[in-house]
Amino acid sequence: MSRASPGMLTRILAIARKELRDASRDRRTLTMTVVSAALAGPIFLVLIFNLIASQADKVRDLTLPVVAAERAPALIDYLKRQQVTISAAPADYEARIRAGDMDVALLIDENFSRDVAAGRAGVVQLVFDRSRDRAQASINEAESLLRGYDRLWGAQRLLLRGMAPTVGNPLELREVNVATPRQSGALVLFLVAFYGLLAAIVGGMAFALEATAGERERASLEPLLMTPASTLEIAVGKWMSLAIFVALIVFITVGGFYLTLAFAPLPAVGVPFLFSARDVLRFFAVLLPLIALMPAVLLWLGSRGRSIREAQANTQLLLFVVSLVPAAQLFLQRKEPAWLLYVPVSAQYVLLNRVLRGDALAAADLAQAAIVPLLLTAAAIWAFAHTWSREAALAGK
Amino acid sequence: MIVIESLAKAFGPKREVRAVDSVSMTAADGAITGLLGPNGAGKTTLLRMLATLVVPDSGSARVAGHDIVGARADVRRSIGVLSDARGLYPRLTARENVEYFGQLHGVSPAVMRARTDRLLETLNLSALAERCVQGFSQGERMKVAIARALIHDPPVILLDEPTNGLDIMSVRALREQLRALRAAGKCLLFSSHVMQEVVALCDRIVIVGHGRVVAQGTAAELVAQSGADTLEDAFVSLLGSGEGLAA
Repeated sequence: MSRASPGMLTRILAIARKELRDASRDRRTLTMTVVSAALAGPIFLVLIFNLIASQADKVRDLTLPVVAAERAPALIDYLKRQQVTISAAPADYEARIRAGDMDVALLIDENFSRDVAAGRAGVVQLVFDRSRDRAQASINEAESLLRGYDRLWGAQRLLLRGMAPTVGNPLELREVNVATPRQSGALVLFLVAFYGLLAAIVGGMAFALEATAGERERASLEPLLMTPASTLEIAVGKWMSLAIFVALIVFITVGGFYLTLAFAPLPAVGVPFLFSARDVLRFFAVLLPLIALMPAVLLWLGSRGRSIREAQANTQLLLFVVSLVPAAQLFLQRKEPAWLLYVPVSAQYVLLNRVLRGDALAAADLAQAAIVPLLLTAAAIWAFAHTWSREAALAGK
Repeated sequence: MIVIESLAKAFGPKREVRAVDSVSMTAADGAITGLLGPNGAGKTTLLRMLATLVVPDSGSARVAGHDIVGARADVRRSIGVLSDARGLYPRLTARENVEYFGQLHGVSPAVMRARTDRLLETLNLSALAERCVQGFSQGERMKVAIARALIHDPPVILLDEPTNGLDIMSVRALREQLRALRAAGKCLLFSSHVMQEVVALCDRIVIVGHGRVVAQGTAAELVAQSGADTLEDAFVSLLGSGEGLAA
């Protein structure tokens, strides 16, 4: 690496321009990258919205197979008034529930009316498999309807005896769910956003390797190093082009799912995701430090490989770490500690979540989350330049 | 003009591989100087030092008047290098490949186009100028690499085994090109392990073996110096053996 010399900026820009031109001609890689980035949001959203919608449908149109419905006609009438479709349970209902073909079944005890008449509690059994995620909505709905019936029935009995219902139900539970509709969908949206980030790394990866290990593989590195461009200028130029490219991919990804939310005929699920055009920009602002960092790290790793294949092994590790960090955070049950905002990727994860929850995004937090990534960016660019300035870089051309 | 004085370079953790072990020589302007030696004689290391890619352990050298350690940037601007490593960017056109290096060498946009046109024309590449080099033949690629090495009109041209992997037609075209450059007053340093090639082209021959200059002079002087009958015998007797040297 040599000192700054006249024409430095011209050379850096020439390198950046050449890399962008080169990448734009790699049609196949480019198409794959752009298409997967653009489609990630829409496909993911449609799948998730349909899942939510079908869960909601289950609650709305609960079908409850009942064994011996005739033993508790009042209960059955109540359920029907609550829009539940009552059907006769098949004989093998237990096996079917275990197999996941049925969500839930209601069994009315043969002594139901005798017990009730004798002043004892009537027994009903709700049969379900709690381990099945898809059945949760039906199970919860059936459970809460039965408890509702229990309370109603008790209250009526007390009234008949001239007592206030509060005698039997001294506790009144009022549920205040502070999650706004937007918050309940945040996790869903986060998955999509994070997929976009990963797509940006994967998309940038091919071009980073081409621009580094590819130079060696093609034996174009030696001629390049003999030009007046210093390795630092080469590193900065290549980083600039890749950062621009990655920014574009991130923009396409985030924009893709903004457009999907705004215009696609998604099923109405009562979760109004408020993802505005302004949020797209906020998203972008949060990801900016990573848009700077990832290309630098990719280039550095790529420069350490003598061939594209060899460099690929290096970059796999980066992908693993980046995808591991948020996964680890999912297991973090407490509120995130303050220092987390200094950890690259983790900090962006936290801030992305805030954007999606509609929380305020303080400039100070943005700056704090950018410090370490930007320092690392500079370090990685320097390390990249250093790798290529070593005489050993020429050994394996 | 290249002036080399006691240049040395060793590699390895203990500097035990003495690739270039005190080389002194000169290469004049308007002449092709041949660097002949078997594989592993230190030719590539010597040329890489002249190209400022490798820093010498001791000794000094001046290329077009610039010190290879103290004035690296000036040296780089003064040399055009054609080596075995002549990889191009397959998705760029011939013109773009050439002009990219022109930009890095600080060739002004005003003269770039005309100079590229002229170079490609001399090399018989005009018809291919706007095509991506992806599908080019070996010979066509070599010509693009030559144009790329000459785009900044350097006074000194270093050639490291430039004929490796080329067919006969391409080798002839290359020779023709090098003679034209000599006529234009350039200083050419041509390294090869192929005796015939060096003899066919070079005005002066420097024989290197084990990182040292064994002998130098015109072909006739070398024969006289060694006391042998033929040039081939002269090389073998000067080097101690003909191993690694192709006729």
